[in-house]
Amino acid sequence: MKRLFAAVLLILALAFPYYFKDYWLYVGIISLYYAMLASSWSMLAGQAGLISFAHVAFAGIGAYTSGFFVIHAQFPLPLAMVFGAIASAIIGFAIGALTLRMRGPYLALTTLAFSEILRIFITAEYQLTQGSIGLQVPLIFGGNKIYSYYTGLFLFILCTAVLKLVLQSRVGLFLIAMREDEDGAATRGVNTVGYRLLAFVVTSAVAGLAGGYYAHVVGLVSPQMIRLGEMGLILAMSVFGGVESLLGAALGAVALQALTEYLRIFAEWRLAIFGALVLFTLKFAPQGILPRLFIDVEIFMKRWLDKPER
Amino acid sequence: MIYLSQLANALVIGTLYALMSLGLSLIFGVLKLVNFAHGEFLMVGGYLYFLLCALKLPLWLSLVLSIPLLFLVGFIVERGFLRSPYQKKMARYDEYVILVTFALGIFLQNLALPIFGPYNRQAQPLFQGSVRLGELVIGADRLTGAIIAFFVIGGLLFFLYRTYYGKGLRAVAQSPAAASIVGIKVLRMRAVAFGLGITLAGIAGALLGPVFLVNPEMGTSFAVKAFVIVVLGGMGSIKGSIIGAYILAIVESFGSILLLDPSRALAYKDAYGLLLLVIVLLLRPQGLFGEKERRA
Repeated sequence: MKRLFAAVLLILALAFPYYFKDYWLYVGIISLYYAMLASSWSMLAGQAGLISFAHVAFAGIGAYTSGFFVIHAQFPLPLAMVFGAIASAIIGFAIGALTLRMRGPYLALTTLAFSEILRIFITAEYQLTQGSIGLQVPLIFGGNKIYSYYTGLFLFILCTAVLKLVLQSRVGLFLIAMREDEDGAATRGVNTVGYRLLAFVVTSAVAGLAGGYYAHVVGLVSPQMIRLGEMGLILAMSVFGGVESLLGAALGAVALQALTEYLRIFAEWRLAIFGALVLFTLKFAPQGILPRLFIDVEIFMKRWLDKPER
Repeated sequence: MIYLSQLANALVIGTLYALMSLGLSLIFGVLKLVNFAHGEFLMVGGYLYFLLCALKLPLWLSLVLSIPLLFLVGFIVERGFLRSPYQKKMARYDEYVILVTFALGIFLQNLALPIFGPYNRQAQPLFQGSVRLGELVIGADRLTGAIIAFFVIGGLLFFLYRTYYGKGLRAVAQSPAAASIVGIKVLRMRAVAFGLGITLAGIAGALLGPVFLVNPEMGTSFAVKAFVIVVLGGMGSIKGSIIGAYILAIVESFGSILLLDPSRALAYKDAYGLLLLVIVLLLRPQGLFGEKERRA
C-alpha cells in the first residue's frame, strides 16, 4: 500500500508543471528545497536520534560554496552544486567528529551555537559575502521554471533514494539500535563512531545539495537562510509529516509550504499557526500526522476486511 | 576609567543575566531538560510588564502582578506538554522535550509578532535618570533592575536552601526516585520548578525591558546567553550559573572594547559567547561546577 501511495505521488509530482504555471510552479520549486531538507533532517533526528539545529547552516554552506565556485571560478552550475554538497559533507564530518561524545541537549546546543556563529560570520564579513544584502548568483537554465522544477524533483528523488538505501541496509538498523541505546549497540559490536559520522556526513551532503539548488533557482543567497526561524520551519515540517519517515517529512514540507500560500491572508499569523500545529502534533500524534493516518487506515481496512469472516 | 565603567556595567548586567539563567538551570536540574523556549518566556515577561504598565497600573504593582501570571503560564505548559510523557515513561523522552520546547519557542515568538508588531517597545523604568558615584555614571533604570534582581536571587536562594519546599526541589534534582520514597511529590515539584524557572526568566525580561528594548525577537539572543551561562557554570548548578553570568557579562563588555574595528566588534559581540559555549562543551562538558553526567 505504501508503494502504491509513493507511485501515485510520483505521478502527481511529474504532472505538476502541466497543471500549475508561474507562481504555483515557483511554490513547487521552493517546496522541493524544503522537502529535501526536511527528509534529510528526519533521518538525522528521527532515525539516528541526533537532534541537530545546524541543518539550515549546512544548506547555507552548500549555497555559498556553490555560489562562490560559479562566480569566482566560473564552474558550470551542476559541478558547483556538487562541490557545495562536498563542502557541506566535510563540515558535517567535522561537526560530527567534534560532537561524538555529546548526546541529547548537549548536541542540540552545540549545533545551535555553530549555526548562529556561522550566521553572524556571514553577516559580518561583508567583503566576502555581501553581508545581509545577499550574494547574487546565476540562475540554473536561465531561470526556466519548468526545467528548474524537474531538476529539483530529480535531486529530491536521488537524495531520498540514497537516504532510503542507507536506512534499508544494515546501517539503518545500526542507527536505530544506536538511537535506542548507544552503549548497548556498541557492546553488540556496532561501530557507533563510524555510523554516527556517516549519518552526519550523508545528511549534511543532502542539505548542502539542497542549499546549492535553492541558490541557483532563487538567484540570491543571504544569511536569512540560516536563521533559527528557518530551522524551526524545517523542524515543524518534519514533525508534522512524521519525524521517523523520510517521505512523511517531505510531504510535511510540501503541506506546510502549500498551507503558507493558502494562509497568505493571515500572513503574520501563519508561523504561530505552524507552531501550534507542531505542538498539537507532538502531543496527540508524536509519530506525525501521515504515519498516524496510515496506521488508522490500516486498522480500519483490517476491521472492514475481517468483518465478513465473523 | 573606561575599564572601571565597563566593569560596573558588567556587574549590573551580570546580575540580570544571573536571574534569567537561574531559571534555566533550575528547570534543567529538576526536570532534566533544556528549555529551548527560555528566551521566549523572557520576552513574554517583557511584554507582560509593558502591557500592565500600559493599563496605567503603578509600576511596582505591574512588576509584582506579572509574577503569579508568569508562574501560571509555566505551570500550564508543564501540565499540557511535559507531564504526561514523563509519567508514561515515553520512549525517547529527551528528544521529545527538545522538539516540544523548541516548537513552543517558535510559537510564542510568532504569536508576539502579529499581536505586538515587529517594532521595538520600551516599557517605563521604575526610576529614570542616572546615578553618579564619583566619576562613575550608571543609568538608574539598569541599576534598579540589578538591585531588584539581586533581591529576587537572594529570595530564591533562601527558598531553595532554607525552606522545606526548596529542599524538596533540590532533592528531586538529585534523585527523583529517592525523593519519592521519602514522600516528596515528584510530579508537583517538577511543575513548581518549571513554573518558577519561567517566572525567573519573565522577571528578568520585565527588568531588562526598560533597559534594552522589547521586541518579538529579543528572546533568541538572551536565550543563547542563558545557554552559554548555564553550560559554562555547569548544567543544573545554582552557584555555577551565578558565577557564569558574571563571567559572560565581563567577557562581553571587555571583548567589545578590545577589538579595534568598532562595527565588526559590535557584529561579533554575540559570537564571543557562542564560541565560549562550544569550547566549554568540547573541553569540559560538565562546566565549571557541574557534576559529570552519570550514564546508566
